[in-house]
Amino acid sequence: MLVLTRKENESIMIGSDIEVKVLDLKDNQVKLGIVAPRHIAVHRHEVYEAIQAENAQAAAAAGAAACDLSNIPKLFPR
Amino acid sequence: MRFETTRFGAIDVDPESVITFTQPIVGFQTLRRFALLPGPVSGNGEESRVRWLQSTESPETAFLLMDPRSVYPAYEVDLRPEELAELGAGSLSALDVYTLLVIPPDHTQIRTNLKAPIVINPKQRLAKQAILERQDYPIQYFLLRPSAPAEQCAEDISPEEARR
Repeated sequence: MLVLTRKENESIMIGSDIEVKVLDLKDNQVKLGIVAPRHIAVHRHEVYEAIQAENAQAAAAAGAAACDLSNIPKLFPR
Repeated sequence: MRFETTRFGAIDVDPESVITFTQPIVGFQTLRRFALLPGPVSGNGEESRVRWLQSTESPETAFLLMDPRSVYPAYEVDLRPEELAELGAGSLSALDVYTLLVIPPDHTQIRTNLKAPIVINPKQRLAKQAILERQDYPIQYFLLRPSAPAEQCAEDISPEEARR
């Protein structure tokens, strides 16, 4: 992992079109500003992780070993 | 095109009907090609609006997809123009929107992920899991009232028990 030290209002560039700027530092929190092309999705890591965990649950629940799914038509009738 | 699945055995689908994900389902990075299949059928042959999304590359990997508007009528997906272009869609109306259904053994925990829907362009056969920026769509949206009895694999959960 590349480690860089930055002060408030300093930034780093990732490639030529992504900038990550330290906007504010206080109370053990860092406020970051991100400038990136629109096609680059930026999400909090914990959101991404939670979606990954829920996707794994969705696949597991749909797995062959999961319980009988024959009442799904009752829950979601056509 | 013929491929193996754990749940359905070997199945044949029209290769033209296979959907390619432009962005993977998060956590399933190596799987890009899926077939959309009819959902589970009840003992007496009733069908549902739920559909299977079966990987053509991993026999054991399948998801259940539902129409989120059946439980959350005001559900809206807002994609950036770049995301629409990625799916070869001119507008949102060209896309089919599904959410992933989680059916755990305890049916009171049935839920769907409103934060990260599966959006499919049926014409181009392109899809992705979008991550919506709005904060009010939960990753776990529970479909049954918390007061519903905690039956394991309950036989009879009436549609009236679906919240909203």
